[in-house]
This record gives sequence, structure tokens and C-alpha cells, in this order.
Amino acid sequence: MAPSSATSPAGNRSGVQLSNTKTTVEFRAALVAMAIVALIPLGVSNPYWLGVLIVSMYFAILAGAWNLLAGYTGQFSLAPATFAMIGAYTTGLLNHYFGVPPLLGIVAAVVVSGLVGLLLGRAVLRLVGPYLALTTLSFAEIMRLVASNSIDITRGDLGLGVAGLLDSRIGWYYLFLGALVVLLILFYMLLRSKAGLFLQAIRDDEVAARRAGVNVVFWKTTAFAISAAASGFAGALYAHFAELVTPELGLIGQTGLIVSMTVIGGMGTLAGPVVAAFLVYVLSEWLRDVGGYQLVVFAALVVIFARFFREGLWGLARAAVQRWGRA
Amino acid sequence: MTLLSVRGVSKRFGGLVAVNNVSFDVAASELVGLIGPNGSGKTTLLNILSGLADPDGGEILLDNVPCQGLTPERLAHRGVMRMFQLTRVFRRMNVIDNLLVAGRALGLGADEALARAHALISELRLDVIRHLDAGQLSGGQMKLLEFGVCFMVPPRIALLDEPFAAVHPTMKEIMGDFIRARHEKGQTFILVSHDMPVVVELCPRAVCMNAGDVIIDATTREVLNDPRVIEAYLGGQAA
Repeated sequence: MAPSSATSPAGNRSGVQLSNTKTTVEFRAALVAMAIVALIPLGVSNPYWLGVLIVSMYFAILAGAWNLLAGYTGQFSLAPATFAMIGAYTTGLLNHYFGVPPLLGIVAAVVVSGLVGLLLGRAVLRLVGPYLALTTLSFAEIMRLVASNSIDITRGDLGLGVAGLLDSRIGWYYLFLGALVVLLILFYMLLRSKAGLFLQAIRDDEVAARRAGVNVVFWKTTAFAISAAASGFAGALYAHFAELVTPELGLIGQTGLIVSMTVIGGMGTLAGPVVAAFLVYVLSEWLRDVGGYQLVVFAALVVIFARFFREGLWGLARAAVQRWGRA
Repeated sequence: MTLLSVRGVSKRFGGLVAVNNVSFDVAASELVGLIGPNGSGKTTLLNILSGLADPDGGEILLDNVPCQGLTPERLAHRGVMRMFQLTRVFRRMNVIDNLLVAGRALGLGADEALARAHALISELRLDVIRHLDAGQLSGGQMKLLEFGVCFMVPPRIALLDEPFAAVHPTMKEIMGDFIRARHEKGQTFILVSHDMPVVVELCPRAVCMNAGDVIIDATTREVLNDPRVIEAYLGGQAA
């Protein structure tokens, strides 16, 4: 007979904390990083660099959302940028054709991208590894081509003009930062709940998870829907920031950046991908002069990190702290 | 009272008949050894009983209710818990979390699951390694952990596939003691093992399979002395 919670030894309580310690440490590190990001405008007022950081935060949300799916649930989808594009077009089309206000459009974007994610997640439920990657890549290209070729509706590559939300770049900066922090808190709460246990169990061994009684169909589909909804939210926010939606949001190169950020930061860690999003995007701006070669640089970094540093920058930082602690 | 009833269950893989019209009953609180040489169909039968494979024919009743075709997760919720021959644990999760997955999925609250996990960790002597990721454990420790997962919520029936294979004698003893104690309290088991001394010691009854067929279902002593069993294990010349 299991002892009741009332009679649990004191050590059990500490066990709760210890079994979640990794996630809590990562969450706190992410919050510290976000606090530093919050202070940057005190020293940086150049609109160009503020814009770069705003786009970094857009990618940080996408990297965090993709990390939930790939890093924590083991579903290697290649459509994160596509869900951002779906979110952007949802609010963009609603605003452009029906005058729906941006805030309502953003809510609609979350719902629509989440529902599309739910359907895609259900469709690819039994696919793993390269089959899942190739199927979601096909979905991504189909969606981008539909957006690009539906010129009568989306204006194709000319782009769809949408209303802005804020006038001040600083306002946008803190709106994106607030959105990123809220999503970090939500992801942290999710990972500390039983849902987090189930998602990681599915990642490690789907058959063992089913044996343990985990409803794999429900949780895999739910992870897909949450990740897609968060990506759609980022896309919708970006649409009103840029005041323009184009099919370029769904380019495979955008997904490449998101994957690079996540792998370099540390897949399956809460803080790594978010922090790496800033590093990779700022680096990509510095490498803008070399044009298409920037993706070659990131691809090389991904290969190096995937081969030699599986836990990414987060793992390297943790190892350094442990060495320092022992010294 | 019959807990599990296997009636005429068959499974083919192309031209190979892995399980051929197998029938037997397991009473509540019984500990049944399922033995047979390699390739006799034991693991395939456990796959069918735990929902990982669909039978081509026959019927499986749990508490007199048909349960063939149910998914492993639904069977887990109905009290069928399976330990695999090739260890399956969540390698990037620590020992406590490995246990909590089963506890939470099977309906325990957070505090109750944690208390239960700590009790099992103590009983299986996994205390020292409880915060290590399962991937860092030795093969024997992983087996012990997977064994524990099966008992996070006491199952109606535990299907243990080779729990003692390639395990240190101390851990074998821990599992043996655990099985014995739970059996005395009324836990039902089907135990697949090639370790005959352990089967003789733990299981009052054994079912022996060979080439997909049940060749004898009797007391373990009778089974091990049966010429058909000796022939199945040692080949035709021994008969």
C-alpha cells in the first residue's frame, strides 16, 4: 500500500524539486537572460539594432515552440516557419479584407495555426525520423506555394499589407519580450506538470510510454498543436510589426534558422534555444554581407554541435559551471 | 477465479506460425511460468497479451471481458503491465521520473505517485542512483528500474519477459524476493524465463511452448520432467 501524501517522508518533497531541478535551473537562466535583454534598450537606441533584437525575439519564440515539439517530444517536424506564416496570414487576411483589429486577429491566428497543427499532428502520428521530417517539409512547401500562388487573395510575393499595432519601436521591443517571457513561463509550467513527464517519456521510448499507460496519440497531437499555436502567435505578432505578410515567412531557410538556434542552444533544454536565437540571429546580421553563405555557416555549426556537443551551448555552459564549482 | 483466459490465440508472420491455437487460463493470485526454447513464441504471446500485436485468431478475456485488440495504454489502465526482454526505460529521464510517468499516467496524484516511487526505490534498493538519468545506469539497474515501473500501480497481472536475464545475482535476488512477496499478497504474474532454478522456485505452475504450440500445462516439476519439454530444449536425440 502506498503511503498517503500526508505520511510521506520529508525527503519526498525534496524529491519533487530534485526531479524537476534541471528544468527549474534552465527556466531561471532563461529569465536572467531575458532580464539582460530587457536592459539592452538602456544602452542601444539605434532603431536598426532594436529591430534586429525584435526579430531575434520572434525567432526565440519559434525556437522555443519547435524545441517543445522536437527537443521534448522527439517529433522532428520541419514546418515551424510554416505555422508562423499561417498565423501571419490569418491575422493579415482578417485585417486586410474584414478590418478585424490586430488583437482579435492575433487570437484567431493562434486558434487557426493550433488547429492546423492538430490536424497535421494527427496525420503524421505514426511517422518518425526522416519520414516525419520529409512529410512536414512537403507540407511546408505546399503551404508556402499555395500562399505564393494565390495572388488574388494573398497578393503572392508582392506581400499583403496589414495594420500596425504600435508606433514605437521600443514598445514593440517590450511587447515581443513580454510575449517571449509569457511563453517561457507557460512552457515551464507545462514541462513541470505531468504533461511534461509524458512528452519526454514519448521522446525517449514511445512503446515504453504506451506500456506505462501514457495516451501517446493524445499527447503527441497536443504537443503538435501547442507548438503550432505558439509559432502562429509569433507569426501574427511579426505580421503587425512588419505591417507586411509574404510567403517568405515560410521559407525552408527560416526553418533552417530555427533548427540551428535550437540545436546550437541545446535541444531539450528550456534556456538554450531561446538564448541561441539571439546569438544566431545577430550573427546572421553580421554575416549578411556574405549572402547565402550564412546558412552554410549555421549548417556547419549545427553539424559540429550535433556531433560533438549534443546539449549545445547550454550543456557547455553547465559543464563549465560544474568544473568551476569543483575547482 | 479466472483472471486471464487465452482461448485459441494464433499469430502468423508470413509463413511462420509464431503462436498456434494457444489456450490456457490464469487464475487470480497465480504465478505462472511461461517457458520454452528460443523462438517458441513466448514473447509473441506476451506481445499479444500486452496489446503490441494483434492476434490473427482467438480470444483473450480479462475478468471475463474480451480485451484483444486493445492498445497497450488501454490495457495498462485495465491492469495489464508488461516488462520487456530488451529493457525499455526513458533514458534521458532520471529514475524517479521514470517511475512517475507510470504513476501519473495510471491516475495517481502528484504526491501519491512520488510517495509510491520512493517506496519502490527503497524496496528495490535504487536509492543511490535515484537522481541519475536511466541512460547512465548499468544494464541490471535498468532492468530493475523497468521492473519497478510495472508495479508503480499494482497491476491486475504482471507479464514479466526474462527479468533475470543478464542480471547480477544480487539484483536477481531483489526481484525474486519482490515477486515472492507480492505473490503472497495476491499479485498475479506470468513469468517468462530461461532460468529454470528460479522458475522452479517461484512458479507452482508452468506452461511450456515449442514452435508456437503449448506442449504441456502442469505443475512446474511435471513440466520440467516431461520428455516433450526435454526434447524441445535439447533436441530430438535426447528423447
